[in-house]
Amino acid sequence: MGKKLLRAVAASSALALGLGLAACGGDSGGGGSANDEPGEKGGTLQYLQSFLYESADPQRIYYGVQLAQWRRVLYRGLVAFPMDSDPEKATTPVPDLATDTGTVTDGGKTWAFTLKDGVKWEDGSDITCADVQYGTSRVFANDVIIGGPNYTLSYIDVKDYPGPYTATPEQQAEFEKAVSCSDDNKTVTFHFNKPWADFNQAAAGMMMVDPYKKSFDEGDRSKWKVLSNGPYKVEGGVWDKNKGATLVRNDQYDESTDTPDQLRKALPDKINWVVNGSDTAGELFNDRLIKDAGDDQYAITSARVTAQQLPKVQSGPVSERYVNVVSPFTDYLVMNHKKLTDPKVREALAVSLNATGYIKALGGELVAEPADSIVNPGTAGYKPNPAFEGISDGEGDPDAAQALLKEAGVKTPFPIKLSYPKTPTADKAMAVLQESWNKAGFDVTLDGQGDTYYDVIAQPDKDSDVMWAGWGSDWPSAMTVIPPLFDSRPNISKTTCGNDYGCYESDELNKILDEAANASNVEDQQAKMQEADAFLGKEYAYIPLDNQKFNWLYGSKVTGFTTTAASSSYPELGLIGVSQK
Amino acid sequence: MSSSTEPKVGGEAAQSVVDTAAPVTSVASKSPMQLAMARLRKDKLSLIALGFVLFFVVIGLTSPLVTHFGWIDPLTTNQDLVDPFGRPVDKWGGISLSHPLGIDSIGRDLMSRLWSGVSLSLFIALSGTALAMILGVVLGIVSGVTGGWTDAIIGRIIDLTLAFPQTLMLLALASTGLIMVQKAFHTPAGNPTAAVYLIVVLGLFGWTGIARIVRGQVLSLREREFVHAATMMGASKYRLYFREILPNLWAPILVTFTLMMPAFVSAEAALAYLGVGINAPTPTLGNILNDSISYADLVPTFFFIPGFTIAAIVVSFNLLGDGIRDALDPKGHQ
Amino acid sequence: MWAYAARRVVIGVMLLLALTLVTFVLFFASPADQARHACGKQCTDEQIAVTEKALGYDKPVYEQWGMFVKGLATGREFPADPELKKTHPEFITDCDAPCLGYSKTNGKTVNYLIGKAAPVSVSLAVVAVVLWLAFGVSLGIIAAVVKGSIIDRGIVGLTLIIYAFPTFFLGVFFLKFVVVKWGILAYPGYVSIAEGGVANWLNNLLLPGMTLALVFLASYVRMTRAFVLESLGEDYIRTARAKGLTSRRVLFKHALRAALTPLVTMTGIDFASLLGGAIITEQVFAYNGMGKLTVDSSQAWDLPTIIGIVVVAGAFVILANIIVDICYALIDPRVRLG
Repeated sequence: MGKKLLRAVAASSALALGLGLAACGGDSGGGGSANDEPGEKGGTLQYLQSFLYESADPQRIYYGVQLAQWRRVLYRGLVAFPMDSDPEKATTPVPDLATDTGTVTDGGKTWAFTLKDGVKWEDGSDITCADVQYGTSRVFANDVIIGGPNYTLSYIDVKDYPGPYTATPEQQAEFEKAVSCSDDNKTVTFHFNKPWADFNQAAAGMMMVDPYKKSFDEGDRSKWKVLSNGPYKVEGGVWDKNKGATLVRNDQYDESTDTPDQLRKALPDKINWVVNGSDTAGELFNDRLIKDAGDDQYAITSARVTAQQLPKVQSGPVSERYVNVVSPFTDYLVMNHKKLTDPKVREALAVSLNATGYIKALGGELVAEPADSIVNPGTAGYKPNPAFEGISDGEGDPDAAQALLKEAGVKTPFPIKLSYPKTPTADKAMAVLQESWNKAGFDVTLDGQGDTYYDVIAQPDKDSDVMWAGWGSDWPSAMTVIPPLFDSRPNISKTTCGNDYGCYESDELNKILDEAANASNVEDQQAKMQEADAFLGKEYAYIPLDNQKFNWLYGSKVTGFTTTAASSSYPELGLIGVSQK
Repeated sequence: MSSSTEPKVGGEAAQSVVDTAAPVTSVASKSPMQLAMARLRKDKLSLIALGFVLFFVVIGLTSPLVTHFGWIDPLTTNQDLVDPFGRPVDKWGGISLSHPLGIDSIGRDLMSRLWSGVSLSLFIALSGTALAMILGVVLGIVSGVTGGWTDAIIGRIIDLTLAFPQTLMLLALASTGLIMVQKAFHTPAGNPTAAVYLIVVLGLFGWTGIARIVRGQVLSLREREFVHAATMMGASKYRLYFREILPNLWAPILVTFTLMMPAFVSAEAALAYLGVGINAPTPTLGNILNDSISYADLVPTFFFIPGFTIAAIVVSFNLLGDGIRDALDPKGHQ
Repeated sequence: MWAYAARRVVIGVMLLLALTLVTFVLFFASPADQARHACGKQCTDEQIAVTEKALGYDKPVYEQWGMFVKGLATGREFPADPELKKTHPEFITDCDAPCLGYSKTNGKTVNYLIGKAAPVSVSLAVVAVVLWLAFGVSLGIIAAVVKGSIIDRGIVGLTLIIYAFPTFFLGVFFLKFVVVKWGILAYPGYVSIAEGGVANWLNNLLLPGMTLALVFLASYVRMTRAFVLESLGEDYIRTARAKGLTSRRVLFKHALRAALTPLVTMTGIDFASLLGGAIITEQVFAYNGMGKLTVDSSQAWDLPTIIGIVVVAGAFVILANIIVDICYALIDPRVRLG
């Protein structure tokens, strides 16, 4: 249940920081559209991207933005999320390559999809069940296909399967029984070893069961090759990690097998996808969009407007090309439970937190809004966590914290090491937290870290006491927030605490999570999740900081600029076109 | 004046500093001190530079004191003085009587931050320079005295050090380097370790130039008769060389020192830009400037005040170094 | 002469190998777990072990270094797995000699990555060198000719002040003020000659090239000035003047020639050090050169790429030193080769 976790979270929160810690916003709730001009076909869209992909191979992609946007242009899935302004609809899968959203039998343990007729690869060959089977099998080759999501490994009913490259014929046969094809090579059936109720949501949001053509596979060398089945193809067939690529129309794509209005309008004839992974690139891209000269008039960017650029886009003509939306990303602090074992100390940290000052240091209300739970308000079943009432929008109460520390009987000043991904903005925001905690009897050391931050804080033996982190649910269920972050069973092993950065372990919590997973209906499940969140709040396992807001700029000749829940509040590429007037 | 390579990190900068300083080594030491002082006193520009250098040194030395007494406060935030975008509410970057140089984007007093920053940056540059000098003098003498294989090996180590892409190594090794420093010197985690890392690294990449000069001096002295005589009478070679050579070396050491200091101040700033060095919220010149970059055109005072402070330090140290060199060797340089 | 050159080259190669060995040792002495970084935080223990094996991190340092040196000489195949080569020959990436390694992070050979990044850094270095030589030498001559005047002091002082600002301060100033605020120049973004022609290439390199050149300008002004002044004082120049040669002729024919040798030396070595990447300038202007590759690979713990850059950057410096020394010997007969 709820295994759909996109690296978007880790990655993009790191990115958010890279561009000025959480830069974005939300006057218009779910779908921020500022440009209602009906899109027209044709023209060239410039896409300015300020971070580097880790791969162009569907089974290795894990960035949320890339998964969402490449679904619209290059890789169709069995099912996909529609471009709907209603967040709930936008996170309910609809058929894409398959004729329906999947047939479930055996209490969620068996899922079957039938491929549509006429769906083709860019080389003109048909997409078959064997391709889906092969794509699914690649994920098992851990030594070659590194980096992508691997949830299927624990679900697909097969033992000791090493992936297609090194499997013996017997192992391969066993796998092909677990993921089987019908005789006409059209229907694929997944057999799981336990129920996977929302498998089709995982299939829509990630690409681990996407088709892959066997004759195209070159193992490690396939990392940047693209064989498209969507409306565009990559010119030259290879994605350049540091430069990007030009996307041109794929003449083998048949619109009649698709639902363009729902899934991908594919308006521009060409997309000039420019990648620049430099730390300064995002700011430069938005400087260019503010200027709106030449080709930049036809440009959108994956880089958010930085807090320091915001004053320039609030008025004048540029403000008409500016969108501010609430994102599904929530930032929080998590305590290291191996070091801060006393809940009173954790509570003291929470009550003395200057949350208001923190948000102001990030860039104010356009960049972030106070968060009162780790569950984002856009998530169904969201309920403010009672433990953080008055904390999330307060300036901290040092006296109360001092009393708590006294009660705990610890020596003050109590030393705290606060770790976070380092940027100039983050440095300042953390300095505000430091100041408020120091007043309350802590002695805080700031520990700004580089790009390997999330790897470092996942380690069980780190010496951080408190860690900053960001998370986003990819479809609106708290099941994609609390279990992946606090359930110790999938997270904690000898060498890592996984996404449970604080190495939090509680049988009591795990029991509530199990009850939620086995709940018979959504309401009960939501109630259980709220119970779990309240439990974490009482334990002060984490402190919510803010819900990020996204600030987007786009060129003056761009049409249909929208963000949806399906695009995680990033630009919805499937709707965007360029004006040729 | 050094021909600094682009990232201006230690080694190369220091190396060329020493190259241009080399001519001084030939100065005979009759009564050079008095002569040089007399010449220096006449050099108005150098005297002004000296004034600035003294000013910055005083700033650096008094910083712990004035912080202790609360006269400056580099850490306290005043968020009510800035708007949500981090711009000071008042004009001119929030410059006022209580904040003579304005405030930063969370309302911290910029003058206080610069005051502490100068102190820490100069301390790091000074320690790095001192380490480089000690390493250079010791290895130079060992190299020259021992000769043979030792000399050859030290020579190759110098070549190796110069061939290393230093900024790359600094960046790539920063995270592990910090852990190694912590293990080797048992420094407290965090900023003390970061400072020691910077100092060690600057020193390790900066010693080669002075080592070459010292070695040259040793070689030229080796042939002198009194040295032969002394060694034959059983005097310790090393003691002899340290006693005989060091007095001859104060001139190049002084010049190299004055010119290496500003190079290391720049190096600290460059490293701060690349995210290596002292952690927030402790101010150094480098991280104050780095903090201000995204505000450069929004609130120019954030950007220009620390930038000009660094430039003033670098210029005044360089002019003073030039002045000392010219005073010691009036013919060699115009 | 040839024997000298040959000996220098041999020593240079050995130096280079020592450089790689030191780099290997430095990285393996580090407590960080290479494989864990490469695999990511989601990896299970088994996956980390598999990654470690796939990347060769399970082998001892000297063995990995040996494989690297062998690859430099004869080329390598990635992964070096004879079994896989039999069953899936299409999976094997060939890396011809001199093979610098294979970056798992990028899924490319290090040779390929450096091949992509080097043209940017070389372009930047070329433009910067031309700018600082043109302005540095001419300003230096002017300053020498009008020695002691306000113009002389102005030139020397101003270049020193510019030099005193950190490189990133100058770069950011150009970007945020010259480009964004005042709109004097367009946004620079690297365009290769093949893509956009020479004019476009040059236009985009102007600001970053200028940033870099300004850093070096002061030393070149001062050096040119010093050497011109020095040679103007030499006997043969006085003789030339006495013979009635015009001062302009004396200046260009004799004085400048004397300054040429040290200028060439310094330019060669500075240029070579820039070929390894101008990390800060590339970072400020978001150019994908060697400097950027350096930053990326060190952030991602991409060991093979780091070592590849060390080798290439070190080779440039060593080579430049050899060339400069040999040229020096050729130009100036007084230099003994020893």
